[in-house]
Amino acid sequence: MNALNRHRALTTIWGSPQGWRGTATSVNHSDIGRRFIVAAFAFFAIGGVLAMLMRAQLATPGSAFVGPEIYNQLFTMHGSIMMFLFAIPMFEGLALYLLPKMLGSRDMAFPRLSAYGWWCYLFGGTILIVSLALGVAPDSGWFMYTPLSSKAYTPGINADVWLLGITFVEISAVAAAIEITVSILKVRAPGMRLDRMPLLAWYLLVTALMMIAAFPPLILASMLLEVERAFGWPFFDPDRGGSPLLWQHLFWLFGHPEVYIIFLPAAGVVSTVLPVMARTRILGYGWIVAALLALAFLSFGLWVHHMFTTGIPHMALGFFSAASALVAVPTALQIFAWLGTLWNGRPELKLPMLYLLGFFLIFVLGGLTGVMLAMVPFDWQAHDTYFVVAHLHYVLIGGFVFPMLAGAYYWLPHFTGRARVPKLGEAAFWLIFVGFNVTFFLMHLTGLLGMPRRIYTYPEEMGWTWLNLLSSVGSFAMAFGFALFAIDVALQIFMSRRSRRNPWGGSTLEWAMPIPASAYNFASQPHIEDRDPLATDPELGLRLARGEGYLAEARHGRRETMAVDITTGAVDHVVVLPGNTRLPIITAAVTGSFFLCLLFGFYWLALVPVAGVIALGWRWAWTLGWQEDLGRVSIRPGETALTHRETAGAPGWWGSVFLLVSDATLLGSLLFGYAFLWVVASNWPPPELIGGGIFIGLVAALSALAGTALTRRATSASKAGSTASASRAASAAMGAQAVVIAALMSVGITELPVPGSHAYAAICWTLLLYAAVHALIALLCAAFIRARVVSGHVSGTRTLEASVAQLFGDYAGAATLIVLLCVLAPAVLS
Amino acid sequence: MMFLARISAGLLLWAFGFSLLYALHGFGCEGGWHEIRIAGGMLFRWVMVSVWVLLCIAGLAVIWWIRSVPAGFERRLGFASALVGCAATVVTGAPVTITSACV
Repeated sequence: MNALNRHRALTTIWGSPQGWRGTATSVNHSDIGRRFIVAAFAFFAIGGVLAMLMRAQLATPGSAFVGPEIYNQLFTMHGSIMMFLFAIPMFEGLALYLLPKMLGSRDMAFPRLSAYGWWCYLFGGTILIVSLALGVAPDSGWFMYTPLSSKAYTPGINADVWLLGITFVEISAVAAAIEITVSILKVRAPGMRLDRMPLLAWYLLVTALMMIAAFPPLILASMLLEVERAFGWPFFDPDRGGSPLLWQHLFWLFGHPEVYIIFLPAAGVVSTVLPVMARTRILGYGWIVAALLALAFLSFGLWVHHMFTTGIPHMALGFFSAASALVAVPTALQIFAWLGTLWNGRPELKLPMLYLLGFFLIFVLGGLTGVMLAMVPFDWQAHDTYFVVAHLHYVLIGGFVFPMLAGAYYWLPHFTGRARVPKLGEAAFWLIFVGFNVTFFLMHLTGLLGMPRRIYTYPEEMGWTWLNLLSSVGSFAMAFGFALFAIDVALQIFMSRRSRRNPWGGSTLEWAMPIPASAYNFASQPHIEDRDPLATDPELGLRLARGEGYLAEARHGRRETMAVDITTGAVDHVVVLPGNTRLPIITAAVTGSFFLCLLFGFYWLALVPVAGVIALGWRWAWTLGWQEDLGRVSIRPGETALTHRETAGAPGWWGSVFLLVSDATLLGSLLFGYAFLWVVASNWPPPELIGGGIFIGLVAALSALAGTALTRRATSASKAGSTASASRAASAAMGAQAVVIAALMSVGITELPVPGSHAYAAICWTLLLYAAVHALIALLCAAFIRARVVSGHVSGTRTLEASVAQLFGDYAGAATLIVLLCVLAPAVLS
Repeated sequence: MMFLARISAGLLLWAFGFSLLYALHGFGCEGGWHEIRIAGGMLFRWVMVSVWVLLCIAGLAVIWWIRSVPAGFERRLGFASALVGCAATVVTGAPVTITSACV
């Protein structure tokens, strides 16, 4: 088959239909990545307009441009949009678009999950923006502190919009994190050992793992606050044993790692673009990876530095202050590696380099003020002033927006296939750079003069007038710069000349293909023997197009890509990916209707979309797989490999593992909340503890153990090819899980106080519900396995689904035992 | 999974130790350990310092253990992670020695 015929055959398999049908059904990573990027930029523009409105209001003292109600919505939505609808989705879009291309793969590990995440993001973001247009947008600050966001002080739906809309978007983020993690670990080109991966993949891997651990505390906090607002369960109400500080802990457990989750992908862009601009290789690859790991962990030990003024004892402040100062070390190590790379190379002052220099200056300044704020005595003075506003914008715009703009100019030819229009980008850079510094450098001074954050106006005699006016002028200059950037991109897309392949001389795999990229990325997948494959073999792209790599054959209409051993990069198996489908958009729409039911208080009606999601989830899993063995398939002349359903450690299994890690973090956060309230909150111990329930608890525990053992039995029987035995064990596992659910609910109804009476009862009920939901999931998994055994999809060789069901069964059993231990402890000890 | 565990063992230990110290701090203050005198000092201080020292020793043990991993990228990364984890345990736990207990 010649290159042109191979291109046509692969495009037929991997391409998407034209028009609305293609829009609704495409699961291709390039399509989804591009949509994320465009939507994130649109949300960035909306957030930017809100910032302009704020700066117009603050430009002069006593301004009547907007009132306090509107101003509260402006700053809340500005922060929420920039953090949740711009920064994270922008990095997700970049990752989805670039990762398979940089890893020598044809798509991500779970294309339908990418599409589902995209639709959740779009629908969730739309809910937030519509609320803004209707004047009922969230107005309690982007961190939604209680009691301001509690029902007593925010009686409307403003806070509910945030809690439900953001949780909806967070589903998208966790989906993307699992997708990115598994794709990097498993779906790479053969030969690409971990130490041969491009650095951007390391950055994205670490970021995704951080998201898996960091987002559940926020999802949990949002759920608890929404339940408190809707049903009066008093998690954060100090009169009934709750604590507003619990919200702050859970929020910042997410919120501080979030800063690094935003920064690290952008730093990955720096580590990718900088060596190309300096015409050399990156210095200290191993050191940078080590620094990344250190940053990822240490960033989880900083959250209390957002709470230094809440009255936490000095010793605890010391722990977090030390960790906050320590985190500067791995950050600095990266900065020095980049400076060393520049020193080693022959830098060219092209446009991406200009943005990187801007990044260096601004981010280092932001980092230094961060070290200042990590010191407790200084923080006590500067807390909640414009000094903090200046610091966070230096870190986030310097550490994210500038590198992303460098990345945008670097990769735009890859997206568009066109060269940029000369000079316009440079003008945009100077407007953004100067405008930014005029706006935010002066805010350090405004803050040191005592101007608090989030005030909608100020009297003239405070002496902040000129600083605010200049900040406003600077912000408008910056806005013109971003507008010019958008015009520049539009001109490149619609009017510019064609770009040559690999215009910057990059050495990573995304340039080993024609631009813009085909739907399948590589006509055949490469074998990687070097960290900079194009530097050692500039003709690699042509050889791959000729079919001189893996999976050059387009066969049976199947979307095939290689999976490798995680560490060594040796060939592991062939992944057969699902094709285009409407399932993601339909499932996201049904998920969205669940959140809308909650938003408008139709709580019983919300059970309908829950049933819908379960049915669609079943359908989602059912449409995969096949009823006969494929055996070993050819991957290149003389080499064969099994397909993913006939081997252990397939992406689906790994995805389930990381989903359960995320789930376990949520349970851990809930247990932290239980212990925190018990130890720190006022009005404890509660007036009424659990009354008994040890016998029913024992029934639940034994049933949970039986459910786990029976699911394992079903798995081992199916692996042994004994379908009748597997079917019987799965049926019994379903029965055991049903008993678990009934026993858990019985403990709550008969032995616990009413959940609205005290935070103790509320959190115990939440724990029981958590265990019951997981028992239900395990029940559904067992039912699915039973049905698949009967239908012939699961056999002695096709064991992936049974292995996944076993994971969920094991987790449900462990979660039930932990929950019972915590809930029944007071009854046992009393 | 073993690869991820090995390259992050030292940092995982730091995360565990950091959480443990913070949790003990909460339970100790709530339980009134700082009001109990033992061997010329507060029970609270003895517990905190002992746990911190044990964690530092465990950090050193992880560094020693990583030496047994086969040479290559994995060992270098694991070694760096163990060093950082141990150093972070020393630095972030140091406040147990000098700061006031539950004020």
